[in-house]
Amino acid sequence: MADASIDTLRAHFQARLAAAASERDLKTIDDEFLSRKSGSVTALMQTLKTLPPEERRGFGAAVNALKSEVETALAERKATLEASRPPAGAVDITLPGREHAVGRIHPLMRVRQEVEDIFSRMGYEILEGPEVEDDFHNFEALNMPPDHPARDMQDTLYLDAPIVGGIWGGHRASQNGGRVPDAQVRAATLLRTHTSAMQIRYMKTFPPPVRILVPGRVYRRDNLDLTHTPMFQQCEGLVVGEGISLADLKGTFEALLTGLFGDVKVRLRPSFFPYTEPSAEIDISCQSCGGSGCGVCKHTGWLEILGSGMVHPAVFEAVGYDPDKVTGFAFGMGMERVAMLKYGVDDIRLFYENDLRFLEQFPL
Amino acid sequence: MKVLFSWLKEFVDVPGTAADVAARLSVRGFAVEGIDGAGDDTVIDFEVTANRPDCLSVLGLAREVATAYGLPLREPAEDTALATLIPVRGPRSSDPGTVISVHLDDPDLGPRYAGAVADVTVGASPEWLQARLRGAGVRPISNVVDITNYVLLELGQPMHAFDLTKIGGAEIRVRRAKAGERITTLDGQQRALAPEMLVIADARAPIAIAGVMGGADSEVGGATKAIVFESASFNANSVRRTSKALGLKTEASTRFERGVDPDLPLLAMRRACALLAATGAGKARGQVVDAYPAPVSPRRMALRRARLSGLLGVTVPDADVTRVLSALGFGLSPSPDGWTVTVPTRRVDVLREVDLIEEVARHYGFDRIPATFPALRTAPPAMDPRIARARHLRTILTGAGFSEAVTFGFMAEAAAAPFAAAGNLASIANPLSETFAVLRPSALPGLLDAVAHNRRREQRDVRLFEIGNVFSKACGERRSLTMAWTGASDVPHWSSPAAEVTFFDMKGAVERVCRALRLEATTETHVEPWLVAGQTASLLSGGRRIGVLGRLTSALAERHGLPGDDAVFVADIDLDAADAAAGTREVHVVPLPRFPSVTRDVAVLVDDTLPAAALRATIRRAAPPSLTDLREFDRYQGKGVPEGKVSLALRLTFRAADRTLTDAEVQAAMETIVKALVSEHGAVQR
Repeated sequence: MADASIDTLRAHFQARLAAAASERDLKTIDDEFLSRKSGSVTALMQTLKTLPPEERRGFGAAVNALKSEVETALAERKATLEASRPPAGAVDITLPGREHAVGRIHPLMRVRQEVEDIFSRMGYEILEGPEVEDDFHNFEALNMPPDHPARDMQDTLYLDAPIVGGIWGGHRASQNGGRVPDAQVRAATLLRTHTSAMQIRYMKTFPPPVRILVPGRVYRRDNLDLTHTPMFQQCEGLVVGEGISLADLKGTFEALLTGLFGDVKVRLRPSFFPYTEPSAEIDISCQSCGGSGCGVCKHTGWLEILGSGMVHPAVFEAVGYDPDKVTGFAFGMGMERVAMLKYGVDDIRLFYENDLRFLEQFPL
Repeated sequence: MKVLFSWLKEFVDVPGTAADVAARLSVRGFAVEGIDGAGDDTVIDFEVTANRPDCLSVLGLAREVATAYGLPLREPAEDTALATLIPVRGPRSSDPGTVISVHLDDPDLGPRYAGAVADVTVGASPEWLQARLRGAGVRPISNVVDITNYVLLELGQPMHAFDLTKIGGAEIRVRRAKAGERITTLDGQQRALAPEMLVIADARAPIAIAGVMGGADSEVGGATKAIVFESASFNANSVRRTSKALGLKTEASTRFERGVDPDLPLLAMRRACALLAATGAGKARGQVVDAYPAPVSPRRMALRRARLSGLLGVTVPDADVTRVLSALGFGLSPSPDGWTVTVPTRRVDVLREVDLIEEVARHYGFDRIPATFPALRTAPPAMDPRIARARHLRTILTGAGFSEAVTFGFMAEAAAAPFAAAGNLASIANPLSETFAVLRPSALPGLLDAVAHNRRREQRDVRLFEIGNVFSKACGERRSLTMAWTGASDVPHWSSPAAEVTFFDMKGAVERVCRALRLEATTETHVEPWLVAGQTASLLSGGRRIGVLGRLTSALAERHGLPGDDAVFVADIDLDAADAAAGTREVHVVPLPRFPSVTRDVAVLVDDTLPAAALRATIRRAAPPSLTDLREFDRYQGKGVPEGKVSLALRLTFRAADRTLTDAEVQAAMETIVKALVSEHGAVQR
């Protein structure tokens, strides 16, 4: 009976000690069990008087043993805790570090830089052109004479009075006898609807072979909605030389699109653009469903990613290249489209709101 | 173009399902927008590109399907009912009761016109015909009108029906509109006509706008007993211009402006008359009048075998070339290096050899083109330095805590006004809305909108930049870098209270940009109406102003929806001007110093209006060449400093390249410097 109360108290002590995490906890336990006034071991010892004399001796020894056991255990635990106390000058390493502000590159520019890098590795010259253009370079030389129905595909914003456009290609002047004859738009009348206008300026200035990528902003008379913006980012490419073929276009895009999207299938699908013939839309296999068909790809298994084709002979004629001597391919790719597919963005307007909560989702 | 699958099957015995047909055509140039059930039939919605008006018809698409499957096409001409009417060539007839006389006054714009008179009983079309129209998205109206729409959809020939009794003088005149003429079209709108528009007129007035829409006055109604069917060719550009000028786009104008087969009107007329009889809607009275003075002959062109394989990068077997082109209706005869090809008149898009190559490639299969890589025969030139610069700036600015924004190149005129003199804004002639009315003279308004957008969404600390083009009448198109900063000067941390951004935070960021651009830049006091006076500086380099920085006025901040009492600092730098002033990017390393430096601090009391730059200039002038560095390290006003004065402390570093400086040398230099400060600025050493 008396032994049972000792065992209960010992078990209770061991449980309390096991839960103790600080010196403060140990002090509480010390008081609870050993306090001269209210300690539970002390109280047990006081029950000695109530026992029959023949039991007193054995019980007293047992309680004393428990007492010294408690004292030793508390001392040992205290020593352990003291040993693990942080050294002088220690800091709380769990507090957050001091961060220096760092910004993010805009996702459209991330994609653009990625595209530039891939083409750069393929030996393309990367250059920019003016955003304001004239009708000749934006339409006419691209096989879209006035009244051409394809002009409807690209609803154009016009300026109310001509302005001077930006200069391009200044860095190439030294390689061209100091001259870049078509370097500046002297009287821009419209906002370019595609970066293709630079094809014309480049070919009018430099002889073949040509291998360029022209990234930049383009403008259309479109309302802002889930999938349209009146301004967007394009990358235009042009390769001209002897014996350039549709097969070369295909190989180039397999390299680009697997570079951008990883392990995807690429397909060419006939289409129509006035400045290329044959023309092709380029699709990649849908990443959401792996090509079996889902809502994202409208159950076709394919996602349209860009337009391309073999340069139309009329374009070569407009810039003074001989279409019987050289062939070439051209392509135009919307950075928004690529970014939306690559990053899973379903509303194009997010790119133009510049919400930090959006921008900061892109890694440094 | 929506087509009922059963209708397609009338022309080609295609074995597969609608989905199979859709899949085959979608890789041959006709993307499929959707496949929908329609009762026990299926509607396939094909996207027809602008160059293929011949495929804005069931027959045209059926020809593509037949070619894709290698199956024969049933031409509608095989329908014997169509042969019952014999056409008359020539515009007039001696029998005015059964035929209508046709006059082509302007054969350039209206080169062909076929007309036929028919007696009709106007009512509803049979259900099968209505179903086909509905499948194509066309609302059934009455048997006569439905037949014109049916032929349009089936063959691609727009047709029209006039009420014979409403045609004055029983004559049709295809002519240009006269000045001042007006017509009420079938949609109930009264429209003013211009002399460049082609109309169909009777003896008195226009009764239709050629190729666009009929007139209400000659409309076929319930009481109509006799009609004139029209099946004609009109100049594509003329229809396009008229349709655009009137803002009126119809099924007919869409086809005419892209080009309708000039050979089609007669076939379409026979088909319409046959349908009249077949549906019990009526019966043609006599003969078809077909005014077609200058028939179009088919184009012929060469297709060279070597060119075909060269452009595609694959050798297409001759058998495939002839199979594909023949199935599409091209005529082929062998030539020494390939073929001579006769182009059917419906193929308005096939103008040169390369168009034939595309036809072969489409049906041979783009998937059979191998993937090769273009050979590189010249060394690629370096990247455009402007692109390299943008990339460099992105690294520098994101490292300085700024995130990149991309905003629109145009904006509302009111937002642009503070940034350009009146009359200098480049305006858009046809803006879609007031929000996008002018090209931006500065990227700041767009950037401030982005800052405000973030502020409204619990983002208090905002740092943004944009690299982009700006436009004005005076300066044309230029490249700029624009920055905005509001909120904390650094990321808040538990160890110290967060400081708010100041002028000097922004100036520091701008100085870093200048270093990145290799610019020796200075600042000068400046006044800009949209920046707070006294906290505005212009940035100069090479004697030119290349930018501005400062604190935004609360008036402008509020205009962009920002709280007016929050400090917003901005900077706007003309990168083209910066480029012109930039130093070389070449690096020549100087040897590291071999002798120790000596530093001395000096604190002086000066007028608080004296610019630090003036003090620096004096020190530089008075100091020996061994002064290598000079920087302010404390600026104090308050207790112990008289009103109107400021205590400025500077740390000077001296070093000689060839020896260790002595204390005495440095002391002498310091005394000279202090003397100069006293005499030039009335400074008192503390």
